[in-house]
Amino acid sequence: MAEKATIARPYARAAFGFAQERGVLAQWSTLLGTAAAVVAEPRVAAVIGSPHVGSDELVALLAEAAGPAADGNGRNFLQALASNRRLALLPEIAAQYEELRAAAEGVVDVELVAAMPVAPAQEQRLVAALERRLKRQVRVHTRIDASLVGGAIVRAGDLVVDGSLKGRLERLAATMNA
Amino acid sequence: MSIKASEISDLIRARIEKFEAAAEARNVGTVVSVTDGICRVHGLADVAYGEMLEFPGNSFGLALNLEQDSVGAVVLGEYRHISEGATVKTTGRILEVPVGPAMLGRVVDSLGNPIDGKGPIASVERRPIERVAPGVIWRQSVSQPVQTGLKAIDAMVPVGRGQRELIIGDRQTGKTALAIDTIINQKGTGVKCIYVAIGQKQSSIANVVRKLEEHGAMEHTIIVAASASTPASMQYIAPYSGCTMGEYFMDNGEDALIVYDDLTKQAWAYRQISLLLKRPPGREAYPGDVFYLHSRLLERSARVSADYVEKFTGGKVKGRTGSLTGLPIIETQAGDVTAFVPTNVISITDGQIFLETDLFNAGIRPAMNAGISVSRVGGAAQTNIIKKLGGGIRLALAQYRELAAFSQFASDLDEATRRQLERGVRVTEVMKQKQYSPMSVAEMALSLYAVNNGYMDKVDRKKIVDFEHGLQSFFRANYADLLKQINDKPELSKEVEAGLKKCCEEFVAGATY
Repeated sequence: MAEKATIARPYARAAFGFAQERGVLAQWSTLLGTAAAVVAEPRVAAVIGSPHVGSDELVALLAEAAGPAADGNGRNFLQALASNRRLALLPEIAAQYEELRAAAEGVVDVELVAAMPVAPAQEQRLVAALERRLKRQVRVHTRIDASLVGGAIVRAGDLVVDGSLKGRLERLAATMNA
Repeated sequence: MSIKASEISDLIRARIEKFEAAAEARNVGTVVSVTDGICRVHGLADVAYGEMLEFPGNSFGLALNLEQDSVGAVVLGEYRHISEGATVKTTGRILEVPVGPAMLGRVVDSLGNPIDGKGPIASVERRPIERVAPGVIWRQSVSQPVQTGLKAIDAMVPVGRGQRELIIGDRQTGKTALAIDTIINQKGTGVKCIYVAIGQKQSSIANVVRKLEEHGAMEHTIIVAASASTPASMQYIAPYSGCTMGEYFMDNGEDALIVYDDLTKQAWAYRQISLLLKRPPGREAYPGDVFYLHSRLLERSARVSADYVEKFTGGKVKGRTGSLTGLPIIETQAGDVTAFVPTNVISITDGQIFLETDLFNAGIRPAMNAGISVSRVGGAAQTNIIKKLGGGIRLALAQYRELAAFSQFASDLDEATRRQLERGVRVTEVMKQKQYSPMSVAEMALSLYAVNNGYMDKVDRKKIVDFEHGLQSFFRANYADLLKQINDKPELSKEVEAGLKKCCEEFVAGATY
């Protein structure tokens, strides 16, 4: 995993730099997102690197899936990946691209895992608090996980704020057993 | 159903009180791989170098490699329960160990946890294991002696408080014995001792503990044990933990002595960790920073000024200097001191005591090679009386070695040469000393005086050890006042010299050995 990230970084940076310069960030997001989804499909993953399928065919397939997002430059990017045998890295590249894009636009994706549905007023207070702390605009993706028992966990990149009852019980257990 | 002692309600209540229930914000990562105690962790964007990491199951690790997309960490202790995908949290702290007088008399592991079965340690203070050594402004030169209690060492390679004196030699040459004798001799002197055992057999460590207990030396000693069966990470950090415990005494204006037994094995443990972390191997497959590994450790041995102690204790302790004397041990392979780690440590320390297999087998114990053993700063700290009486010893031995080689070819020797050879033989004999029988300054002074002034010249060489033994008994029995006087004020005044002379003459006249 760690290695993949290292190899994917220059591609993601190049794609982002290009898209930012031309002001086509959204279009490239679609391109990379769809291409990544296609590559992640097990049946496609099986043929990547197979000697029976040429790289041109793969690029054509990915470009077709991406539709109008895959213009000449997009195709060239996919072609470059194919000739370097790095098509399998597309999901990683797409993820890093989105990170770079979010950072440039001053937005951060936050995952909110809650034990029960969050009321809109609560969510707004949380968003306001997080925006103060992270000094960015916050995009919340809420998920319900009943195993937390109560409270919620907020995850923004590597930063995790654990306010769940489960986490607190675990810490209490650790203190008692220490 | 039986109730466990830990379930007593007071204890539980205390633990609940300690428990912080607030939501915690932490940097987290995921374990990517676990190999021989080394974890690769993805994430942990804000981790610092050397920061303590929390793994599941109440185990901890150290972040040692910070790379672009992953963090390489060593797990301290058992690592079998950590699996791929496990969550790792940063703690924002660096590794700490408990310090203080409560540690004395205890055997602890590299993290300061007691392993002697004597219950928890009531230590209140914890300090980080890595610290920058005191700077030049706060230091003072070495001026007080550490009495090892061994004639050969104290007369020829004296060790001062705050000095770093290397003990180097092959296996089975008495390196540990020398260190243990020194620890035993610190009884009643106020010098606190720390013995760090790295990569040794559990049985050897148990032996050391038993011997120290037998001689009543455990009361002023802390033993930090990282035996051969503990993970490499624990062996790597053991000297730093021990040093932190010793620094506590130094900072509080006391004198401490630390023995690292031995740094060769610590370098091996570090080499293992480094290779598993995929750091590039260098000479003898050690990583590039092996020199720094030992230099930063040994630099922490120091003699600090009263100002430093006053500043450090916030004015509570005034007018007292502190010291941490280091006795690192290095094991050589077949006497090869030009290997990587021995050369490094020789160059870092303020002198070295070479122990040799040949001398050991010839019955000369401590098996010190007087020709190449040196103490670069200890001379300034030597007691006046030993300095005056021991000066002749080094010279006599040096001349003896030169002549001994030469005289093998010559059949007829002139009187002066023959006398010098005879003297050399006797000095060599007098330098022998049994294990676990350290001598006081007065006893040493008497032996040195007797051999220097020719009282042993007429004694058969095989009888020298008995003669010395008898002389010491006679001295203790009949000159107790003189003995006490010298120990209280170790100076060679006219009357002291006269006293020693009288003692020797009376004993030789009586000749009961």
